[in-house]
Amino acid sequence: MVIGIMAAMKKTNPSFLNGVPELLVLRLLARQEMYGYQIVEEIRTRTGEALAFGEGCIYPYLHYLEAEKQVSSRRQEVEGRNRNYYKLTARGRKRLEALTSEWNRVTTGVSLLMEGQHA
Amino acid sequence: MPDFIEPLRRRLVELGCPMKQVRRLVREVADHREDLKQTAVAEGLSGADAEARANALLGDPLALAEQLMTALRRSTWWGRHYVVTFSLLPLLVYPVLWALLLLVEMLLEFGLGYRWDAKKIEVAVNNPVTFHHLATAFQWMDYAAIALVALFFCWLARRSAVSFKWMLTACAVCSAIAVITWGKIEPHSFSLGFSMNSHLHMPWFRGVIPFLVAVAMYVFQRRTRRRFQEKVAV
Repeated sequence: MVIGIMAAMKKTNPSFLNGVPELLVLRLLARQEMYGYQIVEEIRTRTGEALAFGEGCIYPYLHYLEAEKQVSSRRQEVEGRNRNYYKLTARGRKRLEALTSEWNRVTTGVSLLMEGQHA
Repeated sequence: MPDFIEPLRRRLVELGCPMKQVRRLVREVADHREDLKQTAVAEGLSGADAEARANALLGDPLALAEQLMTALRRSTWWGRHYVVTFSLLPLLVYPVLWALLLLVEMLLEFGLGYRWDAKKIEVAVNNPVTFHHLATAFQWMDYAAIALVALFFCWLARRSAVSFKWMLTACAVCSAIAVITWGKIEPHSFSLGFSMNSHLHMPWFRGVIPFLVAVAMYVFQRRTRRRFQEKVAV
């Protein structure tokens, strides 16, 4: 499934699925500083290829998070390659906590309903 | 092997993406493509095959440019709600601007040394030369305020990467408001209002100002794009 990043940016829509790409990106960046390609690859591999960002489409999304001051970026040379590295800010951490809590609430609710259906 | 980055850059510029964003997006997509290539080479593919796979994974550069622009547009509130922002918001900005205009005019009087002294102000407004200067200053501030509102919406349109037609829409709304509204300063009175017959000297000129701003922005955008393309070609 390719993540719909456009929908994710609609802050006015409370639909929880809209916050999934944000949750994934913030969760990854909470662990370490990463660059765009690395984030796309991590999402793909760590979700068992169930979820994937469209190649290249991660960048406007990262810029959006940066504009929202949830992440910060810096250009850094590593092993002869210059890349933009992104890291989580304090505001991003708070947002991650809120999204994680919401995610847990929704998945618990859905699990209860699914278990009820099987019973 | 067809070039991937150049068509992407050209399409982003054509779509009106701000130059700063074009540079950053192109640089990051180029980095991403290089990573895809290196991964493919590490898997045993030849340089040409690795490049072909990187291009295939990134897809059509023109389609990618469109996706990047859509994402960029949706990353701001005014980009997501462009109809409201560029056709309704100018209506709300004018009262705020008028209040600011009034404040500036009062500060100007204060700065000229009247210090809210009723007698000094009385003498000043009764002096035709002094009053003429005040009225002229007010008139030019009025024109500047109209131009500033139009400029603000043009800047917003550029920043949110919406098409030029929305910039023009905002300027048309600003123009309509400028034609039907008026601000007037007379000895012992200051008035603001709206009507089709404003009794102002050259009321049409206020309506033309936003369009002059739109034309200036259009020329500026074209020149910036041309310079950018020339710089890249070199």
